[in-house]
Amino acid sequence: MDLEALWLTLRLAAATTLILLLIALPLAWWIASGRGVARALAQAVVALPLVLPPTVLGFYLLIAMGPLTAPGRLLIRMFGHPLAFSFEGLLIGSVLYSLPFAVQPLVAGFESVDSGYIEAAAGLGASPARVFFSVILPLTRSSLLTSAVLAFTHTVGEFGVVLMLGGNIPGATRTLSISLYDLVEDSNYAAANRTALALVGFAMAALIVIYLLPGVRRSRGRQADLVR
Amino acid sequence: MSDNLLSLSLRHRVGGLSMEVAFDLTHPWTVLFGPSGSGKTTVLRAIAGFLRPDEARITCGPDDTVLIDTQKRILIPAHRRPVRSAAQSARLFPHQSVRQNLTYGMTSNTKADQPLELVEEIISLFQLEGLADREPGALSGGERQRVSVARAVAAATAYPRVSKPLLLLDEPFTGLDARLRDELLDGLREWLAGWKVPVLSVTHALGEAFQLGAEVIKIAEGRVVQQGPVTMVLAEERRRLMEQLRLE
Repeated sequence: MDLEALWLTLRLAAATTLILLLIALPLAWWIASGRGVARALAQAVVALPLVLPPTVLGFYLLIAMGPLTAPGRLLIRMFGHPLAFSFEGLLIGSVLYSLPFAVQPLVAGFESVDSGYIEAAAGLGASPARVFFSVILPLTRSSLLTSAVLAFTHTVGEFGVVLMLGGNIPGATRTLSISLYDLVEDSNYAAANRTALALVGFAMAALIVIYLLPGVRRSRGRQADLVR
Repeated sequence: MSDNLLSLSLRHRVGGLSMEVAFDLTHPWTVLFGPSGSGKTTVLRAIAGFLRPDEARITCGPDDTVLIDTQKRILIPAHRRPVRSAAQSARLFPHQSVRQNLTYGMTSNTKADQPLELVEEIISLFQLEGLADREPGALSGGERQRVSVARAVAAATAYPRVSKPLLLLDEPFTGLDARLRDELLDGLREWLAGWKVPVLSVTHALGEAFQLGAEVIKIAEGRVVQQGPVTMVLAEERRRLMEQLRLE
């Protein structure tokens, strides 16, 4: 197995998950806390990577990061090099591609919190920020963990966006899924099998972790308590 | 008679009910009395800041601090109002112990050391000894209700200013057995009077209103019918109840 690709994949997944949680927490809270056209639009944009071929997202990002567009030129000036075919470019692509996997569990979690708890805390003088961190987040911790695990595993398994945006540069953009593609191209099926098995094992372990989470196991009982 | 604690005038449509309510609170404990669906909880929620009435002006305290004035587009958010509240349905934070629930509102506005003695006194006042380290999920419905009211009382008592906030209690002891309810009401009235915490509570229990000896605002179909001492405002209800008891 290509250990360099494994290390790169894990670094990419960890960084993507961290950035995604920072973006997804406020975004999911905003989506869950009201109705309206702006929120519906935001939800649609967030969900877009679920229904689009990854190559479409990769193609647009490739164009957007290149010297043909104003944002691309700005990014080139900021980083000193084009972001396409670099780790940073891959990171941006991964964040956008895995966005729905981070946001949607959180939206569902936030929507399931009974507003009675929020009012109880506010009626005791707690500010909205304190209510969020001391009441809402603890009540939705299983959604937060699900969101993190899904974002991580989805990034580990992505292929189309990486290929379009990152190419296949060892140590910079060659992830495990790209390495697997290369091995099959070279007819090295034994090594391809080991890489594929590693990816299957990793995904399986992550899903077992999600379903073993105490919050998820008890969620049916708790929802009855939470939903008014 | 004391200073004006709160002035309220409110118009609001909720479901099929068209509310038009106005009153002043001047007594240490006032009871909103009325049948289910008469708009009592809506009034409490408007004061607490949990609902935005169609039209309202609510001021509180001796300097008439505005909580909401829809005409002038003033709306003070719930957590900034000098008001502490406990809803009819106990919403104890399930991830915290009873003791943590009780101290939740005591730390919001002050970094000072937690007044531990105060917590112990409140635990004793509400007869919660032995439950303090339990999780809310392990409590009965009545115990949860007591913790919910005790939590709001703790928050109001520990309010970090000389002038204490208005305490809103929605059906605080509904569902408790009569003996325990009587004991708690007597103790609570004394405690809150000692700490000078004014109260507006909601009930439809006649006995509770008489036991408190409070000022009563009788409300029906979204309108204030009468306001005054309990012996005057609820005299008719009392007479009817006595008659029923005699017939039985």
